[in-house]
Order: sequence, then structure tokens, then C-alpha cells
Amino acid sequence: MSFRSLVQTVIHPAKVTKDLGDAPSLPQSPVNLHGSLQIRHVDAGSCNGCELEVTSAFAPVYDAERFGVRLVASPRHADALLVTGPVTKNMADPLRKTLDAMPEPRFVISLGDCAHDCGVFTGAYGVEGSVGDVVQVDVHIAGCPPRPEVIVEALRGLTGQ
Amino acid sequence: MNEVCVVTVGLAGVVAALLGGALPASSRVVAAVTFTWVSCAAALWAAVSVLSSDHVIALSSTAILPLTGVTVVLNPLGALFVVAIAVVAMASTLYWLGYASHGLATRSASSALPLFVTSMLLVPFAASVATFLVLWEMMALTSLVLVLTDQSRREAARSAAQWYAVMTHAGAAAILLALVLLSAHSGGQTFADIEAHARHLSGALRGTIFVIALLGFGSKAGAVPLHVWLPKAHAEAPGPASALMSGAMVNLGIYGILLVGNELLGGGPVWWWLLVSVLGVVSALYGALYAATSSDLKRLLAYSTADNMGLVMIAIGASGLFAASGHPMTAAVAMVAALLLMLNHSVFKGALFLAAGAVQVATGTRDLDRLGGLMRRMPVTGAVFLVGALSVAALPPFNGFVGEWLLFQGLLHGLPTSNTSVVISVSVAVAALALTGGLTVAAFVKATGIGFLGRPRSNEATDAHEVAITMRLGAGALAVLCLVLGLVPMLVLPAIERAAAGAGRINATSATRGWISLHLLGLRGVLAPSLLAGGMALAALAVIAVRRLAHHRRSWPAVNPVEPWGSGRKVQTARMQYTATSFAEPLQRVFDDVIRPSRDLDVSHLVESRYYIERIAYRTSNDDVIERQFYRPFIAGVRWWGQRARWFQNGSVHRYLAYGFVALVIVLVVVA
Repeated sequence: MSFRSLVQTVIHPAKVTKDLGDAPSLPQSPVNLHGSLQIRHVDAGSCNGCELEVTSAFAPVYDAERFGVRLVASPRHADALLVTGPVTKNMADPLRKTLDAMPEPRFVISLGDCAHDCGVFTGAYGVEGSVGDVVQVDVHIAGCPPRPEVIVEALRGLTGQ
Repeated sequence: MNEVCVVTVGLAGVVAALLGGALPASSRVVAAVTFTWVSCAAALWAAVSVLSSDHVIALSSTAILPLTGVTVVLNPLGALFVVAIAVVAMASTLYWLGYASHGLATRSASSALPLFVTSMLLVPFAASVATFLVLWEMMALTSLVLVLTDQSRREAARSAAQWYAVMTHAGAAAILLALVLLSAHSGGQTFADIEAHARHLSGALRGTIFVIALLGFGSKAGAVPLHVWLPKAHAEAPGPASALMSGAMVNLGIYGILLVGNELLGGGPVWWWLLVSVLGVVSALYGALYAATSSDLKRLLAYSTADNMGLVMIAIGASGLFAASGHPMTAAVAMVAALLLMLNHSVFKGALFLAAGAVQVATGTRDLDRLGGLMRRMPVTGAVFLVGALSVAALPPFNGFVGEWLLFQGLLHGLPTSNTSVVISVSVAVAALALTGGLTVAAFVKATGIGFLGRPRSNEATDAHEVAITMRLGAGALAVLCLVLGLVPMLVLPAIERAAAGAGRINATSATRGWISLHLLGLRGVLAPSLLAGGMALAALAVIAVRRLAHHRRSWPAVNPVEPWGSGRKVQTARMQYTATSFAEPLQRVFDDVIRPSRDLDVSHLVESRYYIERIAYRTSNDDVIERQFYRPFIAGVRWWGQRARWFQNGSVHRYLAYGFVALVIVLVVVA
């Protein structure tokens, strides 16, 4: 951030939110969302790096909510399940239960490299496997951790906004 | 024939009480119930014959009560109350057969219960001050014995009985004062004498008598702020007794108000009825609010009784207001609504209290926070409670709906009257009714949902079994009656109209007409309860049929049963469910300023470190705010004076002799 933009941000705090340009066309949503996506997030055993970035993606600077994405408190209200981290043995069952508790149509987004292939946790004694080993994954957001821009871009692709 | 019936009511009741007190434990309850039924049947016969013809039963004898004699007259108004009491009494005594083994087969209970029923049945027959007061007092005393039944096991029963004894006798004293004032000023103690002379009394005296009688009878009907005994006594009385008290005895408070206000004094000015309406509105709101926040099943029902009696009083007050401002048609509708509400309340509250008694027998607790899952374990009791809850929530096709519909019709059609005070009070009453309705629904969703659905919250609830067949029959009969009265209220409406015409001093002989649909004469209002119920049934059938058809053609998504969401935990316990307290918490928070619940959070730390918590105790109680703010300080004041008085009476004989001496000296000085 240049000095000039920093001063502008101080003078006009409302402009803290970044202009992210037009909506990307990818990834395509597996279900028709009509521009609105409710997400239930499950941390299946992450190092919390991904959580920080997800938080950042929904914070004022990147503000994913303006693109129709919302984090909700109950799987009963969710369209998509957002899973971070490798799936630990203790979290495997709760993860399945959470997916079971979601109404159809639903889909699963895995976020971060660990969710894809367990990353540095591969073969650890408490790890059951990647998210794909436990539930069927429809969309993957890569990175260790993925930057907020990447997360928001992927979510915008899903909502088409 | 009818005169024979009246004698039979009394005789059978006395025989039942004697047998209940004398026979061995194995047969006393059966004998007492049999003769109580004879008594009820005779009373029903007499009441129905009065209600179906305009024949009035009259009887008098000087042999029973010395000096004053007994005068008995049954008019249509009294007959309607007799019917309500007899129906509840028959169901409750049948239920008693099964309940007796749970501590209600003692000699005292077996003779008090028949006497209680008989004295209630006979109160509406009474037609002289002495007869009325004797029967009234008998009713109070026998019910007091019944409240005390569980006193050896429950400390609360003793305190409840104390409250009840004081309140009921204060009420009886007020009634005595009012009736004695009346008879002193009219030169006779039979109601006929009083009726003939009362209209010539001065307005101030009539007003005073009415207010005193209203306070006395209002305390029996559970009118706020004289209701404090009701949630205690009704909750502590054993199952059949609480059903009788809530389903039958409170009605007699209403009867008393009608008796003194309309029959003896012959109606009165607008302010009397405004007073009745205000009492009704306050009772309805206060009762409904406490019912919604109580977590004790029977306490909840008792507060709901105060609420329902409030509705009846609103209707009576409205009827009086309309009659006094010259609108006989609306007055007739409001009075019919009052009596129908009273009758309905007897039936559904009887059913609810019997079901609650069954729950208490099966689980040993009334605390909703320890119940749950009873619908599957006690299907009949659960169904009875559900029917009762739907009735009290005034949902069609059950009986509560018809009564409240009539009440709303009467009130709304009464709005375009010219009298400003009537218009204002009626609008306030309509608003209060709406809020009351909502609170009542919340209370009974809680009672049914927490008590009977979900998973059991304690071992007692897990091990609950359905109760004895007679208990199910007694409670079930009242539940069936709820449905019958809801579908065809026309069965009882002609009788109620006859009673209302007498009660409200209304010339209109008929307020409603029709067999399938209910037309209000003179007003625009039509209700067809059976068609409504038929429509509801058809709609339900249609949904099921469409669902079946679609499922058959596979155009409906398959049902995928999943377990309740418990945050993904492996084990879900009953403690994760809503409780009655947590269900009522938001409501309680909204009305915090009114009910001022006391909350107490107690955190104790480990001795080693303040950063570690050893125990957290959270206590909350919503005891009656009127009791806490008004009665408790009053009792404390009386205690204080009592303590001061002990200085005078300390047991020293010398001091007493000195008192005698001083008194003698004073008398001598005064006389000299």
C-alpha cells in the first residue's frame, strides 16, 4: 500500500474495501445458486492458517458477503460445506454428520492444500486422511494457505457475482 | 320427581362420605365413588330437567338446619353450574378409582372427596343466606382437607393449605358480610325476599354490597390480586381434587358474582361491570403470563385457570356494560360467551389436571424440566393433555375456540355503543384478550412440547408407564367431551341461553340459532364448527393424498431421515434439549419489569487459584410478584404486631391478674 493510498484510507475509511473487478467465470457451481451461497465452515483439523485467511476474506477489505456469500451458524441453513485442514480421526465422524445434516442440494468445498492431500500432516498418527477420503469434494481452493483474494475469487466464481 | 333428586344428591353424598370413612381400605373408595356417582346423576337429572323446561325446582325444610331452615331453589343459571360440576365430578371420581392407591385412599380423603363434590353440587341449589353459607363453608373445608392429603410427604402442601385456608376464609367472611348486609336490609334471609327488596335499597349500599361480594367471590374464582392461594393449592392438591378445584370449584366464584350482582341486586350501574371487566383483564393477562413462565406443570395449569376465569369475568363485565348501556343483543351474546367459556373451561381444565395428575403418578414429579418423552410412554394421557392444550389455546375443532369466538364477537359488536367508558374498556379488553391468547399458546406449547415430546430428561420420566385404566377413562371422557362440545356446541347452547337470560337479566330469549352453523341473532356473525372441522380434515387428507400420489410417481424427492443436529457430537443427551425454563426465558426477559424474577449466580473458585472454577450454581425463581410485593410485607407486618402483642400475653398469671384488676378499676371509674 502506497503512502498516498494509506492517507486516502485514513481520510475515507469507507474506501478500505477493495475493488476486485469483474466476476471470474470459474469455478462453476455444481448446483444453481442464483447468486447466493450460504456456507457452513468446518475445521476438520487445520493449523488455523486457513481460518485466518477465511476470516480475512469475509472481513471488510475483501468482504465476500457483497458477492452473495455468507457464513452461517448451522448446517441446516447451508448450501455448501467449507472444510479446512486434513481430517483428523476425531473430526471424521462430525464432518460426515455435518454433511448429513445439510439439506439437498448441497456441495462440498475443500480449502487449503492440507484439505486436498494432508500436506505436512500426511501419515500423522491422528490423521484419518484428506477431505476427499471422508466426503465427496466438489470444489477445491488451493494454497497453503490460500490468499483471501484467491478465496474470494473462487467464491465469486461459484455465485457468479 | 325433581324434588326427590335434590334430596338424593344430599343423601347419596352423605352416605358416600360415611362409607368412605367407615369401610376398610379395600372397599371404601369403590363405595364412595359409587354413591358420589349417584349424587352426581341425581344432580344432573334435576339440572337437565330445569334446563330443558322452564320448570324451577323449589324445596324448603326447617328440619335440617336449626333456626333458619334450608331453602332450595334451582333456576336455569344454577342448573348450568350444576351440570358443569357434575360432569367434572363424575370424570374425576372415576379417575379417583385408579388414583386411590397413590395416597388418596385414606379415611379422611375418602370421606372428604364425596362431601366436597356434594357440597359443590348443592351450592347452586341454595336459596337462602344460611343454606348458601353452610354449603359454601363445607365446600371450603372439605377441599382444604384434600389439599392437605400429601402433607406428610410434602412441606409445600402444608404451606399451600395455610394460604388456602386464610384466603378462602377471608373470602367467606366478605361473602358473609355482603349477604348479611343484604338480608338485614331486606327483612328476610331467603333469596326471594332479598330479590324483592334489594332494588329499593340506596345506590351506595348496593354498590358497597356488590364490591364486598365481588372481592369474596373473586378470591374463589382466582381473580388477581386475590389469586395467590390458587397456584399453591391447585398444584399441591392430589390429581382428582385439583381437577375438581380447578374445573368445578372456581366456577362457583363466578356463580356468586352473577348471583349477587344480577339475581339478588338485579343488575347495576356501569361502574360495577367496569370493575368486573378490569379484574378480568388483569387476571387474564397476569394468569397467562405466569402460565407461560412457570415450569411446574400443575402450577402452570393453575395460573391458566386464573387466566380463564379472567376471560369469563371480562365476558360478564362486558355483558353488564352492554346491558347497562341499552344493548340487550350484545349483552346476551357476551353472557352466553361467559357461560360457554365457563363450561368449556370446566371440561378442558378437568382433563388437563387429570392428565397432569397421571404424569405425577407415573413420574413422581411435576417439574417440566425433568419430564419429556411421555407421549410415547403414556399415549392416552399424552393425547388427553394434547386435546386439553389445544382446547385451552382456543384452536378449532375443540371447544375453547367456540367460547372465545363468541366472546370476541360480543366484544367487537359492542364497540359501536355510545358510552365512551364502555368503548374504551371494551377496546382494552380486546387487546388484552389478544395478548392473553398468544401467551396461553406459548404456555401450552411449552407444557406439551417439553413435557410430552422430545427425550426424557430424568430417569423417572424414562421409566414412566401408562396409568390405570380408570384414570385413563376418566381423563379421556373429558377429552372426548372437549371435541364434542367443539364440533356441536349447539347441543348445550339452548341450555346456556336459558341460563344466560336469567343471569344477565336480559329480555332476549335467544342469542344464537342454527344446528350446523351458529348464527348470532341481531349481529353479523356465523360460525360452522363442524364444517370448519370437516374442512380441516379434508385439507389434511388432501395433503396426504397428494403426497402419496406424488411419491408413487416418484416426482417427490425421497425422504432422507437424519438424526437431530447436535453440533456433530457422537453422543446426544437429553440435556441438550430445550427445557421449560429455557423455552420461557425470552418471554420472561420481555416481561422482566412485570414479574421481576430473582436470578442468583454463585461462582466458587478453587482454593489454590482464582483462575480455576470449582462450581457454578445458577438459581432462578419466578415466584408470584403480587405475593412477594404485597402479601409478604403484610404478613411480616402482622407478625411484627404479633411479636409486640406477646409482651402483653407472656404467660405470667400475676400479670393476667393485674390486667383483670386494672380493667375492673377502669370500669368502676367509668361507671362511677
